[in-house]
Amino acid sequence: MNEVLEKTEAITKKGKALGADEVVAETVFGRYRQTRFSNNQIDITVAWNNYTTDVALAWNKRLVATQIRNFQNTDKIMDQLFKLAKVSKENPMYGGIAKGTFKYPKPTADKKLQELENPSEYALESIEAIKKEVGAEVNAGGTLYTKYEDVYLASSEGPTGQDARSAIELSIRAFSQIDASGHGVECCSSLKDFKPLRAGEKAGKIAKLAKNPKQGEEGKYDVIFDPLFFGSLLGTWGSMVSAYSVMIQLSVFVKKLGQKVASDIVTLRDKPAEYSINNRAFDAEGFPVQENVFIDHGVLKTYLHNTSTAKIFKTKTTGNAGLVQPKPWNIEMDPGNMSKDELFSQVKRGLYLTNTWYTRFQNYSTGDFSTIPRDGIFLIENGEIKESWKDLRLSDNALRLLNQIAGISKERQHIHWWGLDYGIPSLSPFVLAKDIQLTRPK
Amino acid sequence: MDYALDYARSKKVEYTEARANTTQYEELVIKNGVLDAFVSTIDSGFCVRILANGGLGFASTNKWTKDEAKAMVDTACKFAKIARRKDKITFAEEKGVETKWSVEQKKKIEDVPPEQKINELMEIDKTLSSQEIKIPGRIMDFFISLTEKYFVNSEGSAISSFVPKIGGVVFITVVENGKPEQAYKWLGRSGGWEAFDEWHVTETLLHDAKMLQKLVKEGKAVKPGKMDLVCGTEVTGIASHESCGHPIEADRILGREMSQAGRSFIYPGGPYWIGTRIGNDIVTIVDDPTVKNSYGYYEYDDEGIKARRRYLYKDGIINEFLQNRETAAKLGTRSNGSSRANNYDREAIVRMANTFLLPGDWTEEEIIEDVKYGIYMKSFTEWNIDDRRFNQRYVGREAYIIENGELKHPVARPIIETTTKNWWSSVDAISKKVEYDAATCGKGDPMQGIPVYTGGPVSRLKEVYVK
Repeated sequence: MNEVLEKTEAITKKGKALGADEVVAETVFGRYRQTRFSNNQIDITVAWNNYTTDVALAWNKRLVATQIRNFQNTDKIMDQLFKLAKVSKENPMYGGIAKGTFKYPKPTADKKLQELENPSEYALESIEAIKKEVGAEVNAGGTLYTKYEDVYLASSEGPTGQDARSAIELSIRAFSQIDASGHGVECCSSLKDFKPLRAGEKAGKIAKLAKNPKQGEEGKYDVIFDPLFFGSLLGTWGSMVSAYSVMIQLSVFVKKLGQKVASDIVTLRDKPAEYSINNRAFDAEGFPVQENVFIDHGVLKTYLHNTSTAKIFKTKTTGNAGLVQPKPWNIEMDPGNMSKDELFSQVKRGLYLTNTWYTRFQNYSTGDFSTIPRDGIFLIENGEIKESWKDLRLSDNALRLLNQIAGISKERQHIHWWGLDYGIPSLSPFVLAKDIQLTRPK
Repeated sequence: MDYALDYARSKKVEYTEARANTTQYEELVIKNGVLDAFVSTIDSGFCVRILANGGLGFASTNKWTKDEAKAMVDTACKFAKIARRKDKITFAEEKGVETKWSVEQKKKIEDVPPEQKINELMEIDKTLSSQEIKIPGRIMDFFISLTEKYFVNSEGSAISSFVPKIGGVVFITVVENGKPEQAYKWLGRSGGWEAFDEWHVTETLLHDAKMLQKLVKEGKAVKPGKMDLVCGTEVTGIASHESCGHPIEADRILGREMSQAGRSFIYPGGPYWIGTRIGNDIVTIVDDPTVKNSYGYYEYDDEGIKARRRYLYKDGIINEFLQNRETAAKLGTRSNGSSRANNYDREAIVRMANTFLLPGDWTEEEIIEDVKYGIYMKSFTEWNIDDRRFNQRYVGREAYIIENGELKHPVARPIIETTTKNWWSSVDAISKKVEYDAATCGKGDPMQGIPVYTGGPVSRLKEVYVK
C-alpha cells in the first residue's frame, strides 16, 4: 500500500481505537499554479502547495471534524477531536457514512499538469489571439490556473482508495472600449484538450461586436443565453438541488419531487465526467460518484444526497457527500436539436446575453432574483445581431425561467470561472428562453 | 520565515516579504435545532512574495521545513522573473517597521468551553422554534478564529500580531399562510466572547421573524413612482460599501481586477477622478480599519503599512483611493494601508476595512417626520451592482410606507434601481448615529472573503424612483 494511504488509514484506526463509531480521512497533496494578467501584461504568477488531511469523526451520533497538516501531531489532534465529540451534542439526523468496499476507476488526471511549471505562456498566447481579433489597442486581462491533486481516502467503514485530480482553466476578458467587452473561458482536466486560443478569440469577437453600446431598454424579451451566462444559472439550480439546501429552505425545489419544474425539453444531470475540472472517483465518504439525472424532461426526479440526508429522505446516497453537506460536482444540461444559428433564427426581436455575475435572491424558496449581465449584450432582430446594448439587469424568477426555456443548442461548452456565484462547473449549451424580464436603473 | 528572507537576500531581487499565519479555528453549524457538525482546526503556513525584474512572484506552503522554504523562495523568484513586463512594477517607498499589536479580549475565547458555545447557540434555536410563528428553516453557522501573524520584509519590517474574531451568519425562513419569507443576518467582531452577549442574537432573530410574519399578513405593494426613500443604517451601509468602497479601490481603477471583480466608473482619462463631484456636499464616506473591535480591524496591513482612516468621498467629492504599495507607485502617491490577504496562501490585494457614511445633524425621527410620502427601507434582501460599480439595485426586506411624517403599513419588497451618482446626489438628510453591520466582502481570484463592517447613519434620498 502507498505510504500516504497508510498514514491516512492510520488516522482512521487511531480514531476507532479511541472509541469513535466512524472515522473518514481524506489526504490531499495539492499543487496549484496561477498566472494573473491585466492590461495585456502579467501581474503575478502564484504557486500554492498544500498538504492536508480532512478528518470527520462520529461518536454516538456526534459529528466533529478537523484538518491535519502534513501528518504532524496526528495522535494529539485525534485525541482532541475525540474529546470534542464527547462534549458535543447528538445529531439525531446523522445517518452514518458509506459502508462497504468499492472499486474505483483508475485516475485519469493528466501528469503533464503536475509537471507544468510555467503556465504564463498560455496567458500570453491568448492575449495575442485577442489582439489579432480586435487590434493592438485591445485591453485584456484574466487568469490561467492549473491544479494537480493526489488524493488518498480511508474510512473505518470500508472505503479506501486513491485518486488524482487535475485541471487547467483560462478565463480571459477583452475590452475593445471602456464599456465594450467580451469574455471567454477554456476549462478541462487535461492539457491535450486545452485550447486557449479559443477563449481568446471568443472574448475578442464579442468585445469587437460590443463596441459603442447604446442604453438598453427595459422590457420582456426572448433571450438567448451564451453557455457562459447559462452555466452560472446551472450552478445555481445545482446548488438548490442539494438535499441540504432543501432542508434549510435555500431552494426553489422544496416539496417538488415528482413535479414539473421546467420546460419539457430540459434535462439536467450531475456528472463529474472525465473532461470536467471537478472529475473524481469518490465523494467525501468514499462512495463512488455517479451520474444523477435530477430534472428529467422537466420533472424533478431527485435531490443530491450523502448517506445522512438519503436516510432522512428515505432513499440512497447519490455519491455527493461533502464533509457536512451534499453538493453537486458538475452540472450538465442535455443538448437540444438545434444549432446555435438555428436558435438565433427563432428570435424575431430579443437579446443575446453573453455573461453575468452577482446573482442574488429576494427569496430562495420562491426563486425571485436578479443578476447583472456583463460583457456583450446584443439586440437581435430577425435572427441577426442588430446592435450592442448596456446597463441591463435580468430580474425574474428562477423557476419561471426554467419553464420558459424554448430551445437548446446541440453545441455545449465546459464552463467555470471566478464569477460563478456557487462555483459549480457545468456543461452548458446556448439556451433560448421566452419572455424574460430585463430592467434598468432610473 | 527568517530563513526564507535570508535565503531570498542571496538572490538578485528588488524586494522580498514573507508572511505567516497560524489560525485556530472553530465552526459550529446548527440546522433546525440540530448541531450538524463541530469543526476544530489549526491552519498554519507561510508565503513568500518577491519583486524581481519588475515582475511579481508568490509562493505558499503549509509545510514548515527549511527545504520547503527554500523551494518557495526559488519558485517565487522564478515566477517574478518570467513576467517580462514592459512597464515594470515598483512599490511606493516605505520605511521598515518593527512592532507588535493585538486585539484584547474581555472574555477570552480560549476560556469558553465547547459545551458552553454549543449550549448558547442551541438556546437561541430553542427560543426561535418555541414561538407561535412557524420558522421551518433555521440555520446558524458560527465561527471563532484566533489568528497569529508574522510579517517580515527585506526593508527591515518585522510585525507580529494576534487577532481573535468571532462571527457568523444566521438565516431564517418564516411561513405564514403557506407563503415563505426569508431573512439573514451577518455578525462579526474582533475581540473575545463578550461579542456574543452584545449581539442579542435571539432578540434580533425574533424581531425579524415577527416582521416577516407581519409582512406576509399586511405587506402591500408599492405604487411605483418618485418619492423620498429613507434608508436604514443597513441600507446606507451596503450602498456605501458597493458604490463607494469598491469603485475607489485603486487596483480596480488601474484595471488589475478587470476580468474578475471588474473595473470602476473611475478610470484614468474618464469623467470621474479625484476632485470630481459624485454626491451632495453632505456626503462623506470613510473607510477606517482603526474602529476598535470592528470586524475589519487592523493596525498594520499585510504589506506592513500603518492603518489609518481614509476619506473616500469627502463633502460629495471623490477624494482618496484605497491603495497598496503597487497601485500607489503607479499613481504617484503613498500606500494608505489597504493591502489585505485572508490567509497565508493568498496574495494581499487592495481591500476595504470598515466603510461607512459619516453622521449628519438630524435625528431618525426628524428625518421621517419631514417626509410627506415615501418609504422607510430599514433592511435589504436581494442586491447587486454592475462591475463598474455604477448601476445598482437594492430590494427592501423590512420596509414601511411613510405618510405625512408617520410610519404606516409594511411594504412588500420595494425596489430602488439607480446609479451611484444619482444615489449620492439625492442624499438630503443624514442622522446623527452611526451603526455597523458585519459582512464578508468578496474579491480576488481565488476568492478571498475578507471581514468588513458596512455602516452609517439613517439617510434620506430625495425624490428617487421606487418600484
